[in-house]
Amino acid sequence: MRRIYLTLTLLLAICFAADAQRAKSVILVYLDGGPAQTDTFDPKPEMGRNYHGSYSGVCKTNVEGIEIGEKLPLLASMADKYTLIRSLTHGSNAHETGHYAMITGDTSGGAVVYPSFGAVISYMKRDSYKGILPSYISVTSANSRFNEGGFLGNEYKSFDTGGKPEAEEYEVEGVVNRSVDRKRMDQRVALLDKFENKPMAKQTLDSLRDVNMEFIWGDTREIFNLSTEPDSVRARYGKSRLGQSCLVARRLVEAGVPFVNVRTTGWDTHKKHFQKMNTMLPDLDRALSALLADLDARGLLDSTIVLCGGEFGRSPKVLWEAPWNGGRAHFGAAFSYLVAGGGFHGGKVVGKSDKTGEKVAERPVSPCDLIGTVYLLMGIDPYGTLPHVSEGELPILPSLLDEKKSNGLLYEIIDIKAPRHEK
Amino acid sequence: MFIVCLLFSAMQATASDRCTDEVFLRRAYLTVTGALPTPNQCVEFLDESNPNKREVLIDQLLESELGLKYMQMRWGDILRIKSEFPSNLWPNGVQAYNRWIYEQLLHNVPYDKMVRGLLLSSGSNFRAPAANFYRGFQNKSAKNFYANINLLFLGNRNCTDNGHICFSQIKFKSTKEWKEEIVYLDIHKKVPYQDIELEDYTIIKLRADSDWREGYVSWLTSSKNRRFAEVMVNRMWYWVFGRGIVHEPDDWSASNKPSDPELLGELTDYFLEHNFDMRALMKKILLSEQFNAKMAPEGGYVPQRLPAEVIVDAIASVTGVWSTYSSRVPEPFTFYPPKTRATHLGDATVSSSELELFGKVSRDVSLESQRNNSITSRQLLYLMNSSVLERRIRKSPVLQRIYVNSGSLEQIADKITLLTLSRRATAAEKELYKEYMEQTELSLMDVAVDIMWMQINSNEFLYNH
Repeated sequence: MRRIYLTLTLLLAICFAADAQRAKSVILVYLDGGPAQTDTFDPKPEMGRNYHGSYSGVCKTNVEGIEIGEKLPLLASMADKYTLIRSLTHGSNAHETGHYAMITGDTSGGAVVYPSFGAVISYMKRDSYKGILPSYISVTSANSRFNEGGFLGNEYKSFDTGGKPEAEEYEVEGVVNRSVDRKRMDQRVALLDKFENKPMAKQTLDSLRDVNMEFIWGDTREIFNLSTEPDSVRARYGKSRLGQSCLVARRLVEAGVPFVNVRTTGWDTHKKHFQKMNTMLPDLDRALSALLADLDARGLLDSTIVLCGGEFGRSPKVLWEAPWNGGRAHFGAAFSYLVAGGGFHGGKVVGKSDKTGEKVAERPVSPCDLIGTVYLLMGIDPYGTLPHVSEGELPILPSLLDEKKSNGLLYEIIDIKAPRHEK
Repeated sequence: MFIVCLLFSAMQATASDRCTDEVFLRRAYLTVTGALPTPNQCVEFLDESNPNKREVLIDQLLESELGLKYMQMRWGDILRIKSEFPSNLWPNGVQAYNRWIYEQLLHNVPYDKMVRGLLLSSGSNFRAPAANFYRGFQNKSAKNFYANINLLFLGNRNCTDNGHICFSQIKFKSTKEWKEEIVYLDIHKKVPYQDIELEDYTIIKLRADSDWREGYVSWLTSSKNRRFAEVMVNRMWYWVFGRGIVHEPDDWSASNKPSDPELLGELTDYFLEHNFDMRALMKKILLSEQFNAKMAPEGGYVPQRLPAEVIVDAIASVTGVWSTYSSRVPEPFTFYPPKTRATHLGDATVSSSELELFGKVSRDVSLESQRNNSITSRQLLYLMNSSVLERRIRKSPVLQRIYVNSGSLEQIADKITLLTLSRRATAAEKELYKEYMEQTELSLMDVAVDIMWMQINSNEFLYNH
């Protein structure tokens, strides 16, 4: 009996490994600070000026019945490519706990600090990913409000590119350094070699340096060289930080990198919300639509998950009073995410917020449900475990095992099932 | 374990195995203050003829501002001092807590007294700083407090007794002030029917209308509780050598035996005889043969990669270009004064890409193993080819000054080496640089840049040796 069970489990595991993995990479377009769902993916035009503020209109999308914010016309023309989740909820209105929830899928309050899902994916792909680029890259830096590597440790933290993708030359920390050419670097390394005649860990350091020389001067350098892109492509993404970061993300995914975090800041608009949105939303519209279209045209969208959202949303009701004078506050009770590619269906809407947008009306989605579904599409068992240095094996997503915290994986917009279901 | 055995054998070694003064100087500064000695401090020490100059230096460093602040950082790591998740102490609380620790160290408050102060604390997180000990947990249950107290002060990762009941009176209430919270005791809580029996069969009696923590904390911090002293002795040894006599230093399970029970016993006796004097204990370790031994990966002082904050500060002090730090919590943001050392930030929420890269402790848990000082290819990549670091070296005001004030390559080499590696350049090295200049045909300034780059990338710089 036991043997049959084992064989079955093994068989299931093999089927799972072979079939389940649709996605090879994830691009997270993270709107740090918290974007307003009502001005982006869940407009409420009928609620009047106290709610919709400056944006009374909407964009009809190319999918019957789906409307998005009036500042997102380019995304509106391609709603068949993505699904909108309008019922995300974690209830936290503080940045750090919001980030923690959306980036780890765990709820704060436990004694253990979980790793970001980028770090988890990086850890899970440690054997199968063979690229020379790091497996988890942030353009240009990861969120540092909590420990990104969590209990998995430093090794799985994000590689921050630093630099300015929108600049004439994008200097990637450690990789592209304009002021030192190959000849000078070779001279320096030769000098170092002659200088180092001490026994301290020398061999290890030498071999690590050799790998780095290959990394610095090999093909990888070209991946960050945006000047090889036609000007029309660069323009389509927008010449902003966000636009060019999305272009870098596409190039990294083409090179096989499993997780790319495009983090863009400035979304914490307590004041001057609409003035800021007037420039930030068209920027987002251009960058994200170009990314989706470009991935699709290159046949990469099927294997690349694209996610867009922040640590929470913003209050559907506008704060007209001083000192906000037309701002929106933090809002974790109900907000939206865009998901696309890698096995996610397009042209759908999951969940619903209520009339004012202040509560989830239908199908609440917890952060663990979204991240668990991403794991599943990436061929990672969302009910599996991770090793902790002192606690042993811990569930990869503890909230997913808790009925009070999870509302179920997003089976309505994917075609596969987890090998094990809810306990 | 192997390494510690070798260290032990080094203890019996002869004087010829002692490290040179220049090595000792750098080792002592990095270990006690987390900072490189300045060129002047190097020259002064090397030219000093007092045969007791090592002891004089140790005394001076242990009492210095840099020494106290670096020790404060070590305590901050294990007490998990952090504004945001998961400790959530908030900047005001972090500041008050750090100040409290600093004062304990400044006045060299005995270890048992300091721990009593922490564990018997109550009051406002802003006004009674030690009360932050209890605030800094996501899980504010008596069991979790107790588990952490066991981990920190007894190295016990797995407590099975009912001691947590002694901490079950702790309650929290907020005030009208933003983020202020009062830690208080519900002393009218009903006394449990049975007395508390600890793992060593000690009975703690709980009385009505009193602080139940008292009995436990008195037992814990008593000089009769040898384990309490041993854990601190071993932790101090770990802080100095990067490896405990019991290793991991916070895992004192029965199966994890000390590699050198005699050494542990001797140091613990000393610590107890000196009434838990932490500075005296540190001094004793710094004067030991082990700390004064020649560097050798086997059979001597085992080199350790510099901790993240120390590397980042060392690069800043060598180049004279410092990072700026700011805290994103709360609004309005806090901007640290220019030239603030990373070792002095005091708040794990404040970080930078460089600090993250080299493994700054995130202060999520109280385990010493949170600090990972292994070297990775990514760290070397940064050192080799970061454009930020390159600009720092090229625009280094320190290097410019050296260049302007030196007449020759030899002088330049001497000054850079003193600054970076805390010693004078050898004749062979000067020859090497001369050769380099001839072969590459670079300008003198470019050679100076390359020498600084090369030394920052060298083992000798990256390791405490």
